[in-house]
Amino acid sequence: MNVKNQIIDRLSSFPTIPVIVNRLLRVLNNQETATAEICKIIKYDPALTANVLKAANSAFLGFSKPVESLDEASFRLGTKWIYQIAVSSLIYSNIKRPAPGYEQTADDIWRHSIAVALGAETLSRGQYSKEAATVFTAGLLHDIGKIALEEFVGEAFDEIQHHVDNNSMTFEESEIEVLGVDHAEIGAMIADRWHFPPAIVESIRWHHNPDAAPEKLPAIDMVHIADALCLMEGIGIGRDGLHYRPSEEAIKRLNMDGSTLEMVISEVLTSLEEIDAMLDMAESAHASAKEVR
Amino acid sequence: MPTAIVGISEIYVTKNSEEDIITYSLGSCIGMTVYDPEVRVGGMIHYMLPLSKISQEKAKVKPGMFADTGIPILLRKVLVAGAAKDRLIVKVAGGSQLMDQNKTFNIGERNYLVLRKLLWKNRILIKNEDVGGSESRTMRLEMETGRVTIKSGKGVMEL
Repeated sequence: MNVKNQIIDRLSSFPTIPVIVNRLLRVLNNQETATAEICKIIKYDPALTANVLKAANSAFLGFSKPVESLDEASFRLGTKWIYQIAVSSLIYSNIKRPAPGYEQTADDIWRHSIAVALGAETLSRGQYSKEAATVFTAGLLHDIGKIALEEFVGEAFDEIQHHVDNNSMTFEESEIEVLGVDHAEIGAMIADRWHFPPAIVESIRWHHNPDAAPEKLPAIDMVHIADALCLMEGIGIGRDGLHYRPSEEAIKRLNMDGSTLEMVISEVLTSLEEIDAMLDMAESAHASAKEVR
Repeated sequence: MPTAIVGISEIYVTKNSEEDIITYSLGSCIGMTVYDPEVRVGGMIHYMLPLSKISQEKAKVKPGMFADTGIPILLRKVLVAGAAKDRLIVKVAGGSQLMDQNKTFNIGERNYLVLRKLLWKNRILIKNEDVGGSESRTMRLEMETGRVTIKSGKGVMEL
């Protein structure tokens, strides 16, 4: 069996994601009923409810009176926020893994993923606001393929790096050269197995190469740009470093320019403290959920 | 040995010669160290963007986010702490780029150009630098000796 088939073969034992993530996404795309429906879905999962409330009450939000119910949380913080916290916490508690082959700890991957999710969501404001939930979720999952691929990358790292250093290949081009497949493609396969909608699957598949996507969805470009910015800022990055190629065309397709990018970067940085609060929150909520079980 | 960690958009100055100052994951951001060997006063900034004009509001809360607001503060702080301008040793790292950098994404390059201009205006020279490329760098300043080291995928080197 060649390496690519070995990797794909292993995907059958890759963790699954709770169906509730898909249900939340579907509901949120139906704007009118969203808030009530989202709360209804979350309520059936006690650990998730606890996570959302814990996050709502975490210090950085600074409410004088504690938030005691989901309805109150959604009233104070908004549906978008509830969705972001719920999906982050579901993904975090199910697939928080390190990727030593890329020299990334579980926290590195998570921090980078949340930063890309927030960056993509920031890019969607205004013109593409209908895509907010899609790009946030795709941002959270864009590097999921790294977790499945990392062991193979670790074993073949010197060879992969050789192509990067000597043949001016990007890291993902070099992954394809050496392993027959890159982490973006593997990530798309995983998202597909999880029955995510095509816009999310394609955003993961083309996040390093949006110009090659057969259908130029704005979501793909937003995730690509957010990822490029977070790589540049060094947020949770691995030893693949900045060896990726950004697409100028993606920016043109979205009608954006350099000043938008700087704005998004500074927004993401401001959100980093929020990210850390979410990390702590998810960590402790995950631990207490385990104790309960 | 105590180590002070400088996060993105932070500025740190110390007189403690037993301390190390370190910053991680410099991509397109720039890390700049200043050090006066005679009085052993030193500091570091890790800024992310060239100019504060994109958000005056953010520059007020976090001046270390931008080169044009952060670098003057770093310089002022080391001088207040007892360093002398003509003895300052300045070292610079970061300003990396993604591959085939084009105009819109060249934040690393612009970060560096603004720094050059600012230092030139203040008549301060850069002693050594490790900028550009597609590496992610960690920068460390040892206060006791003034030694600055850079760690990247290519190993550890002294600057």
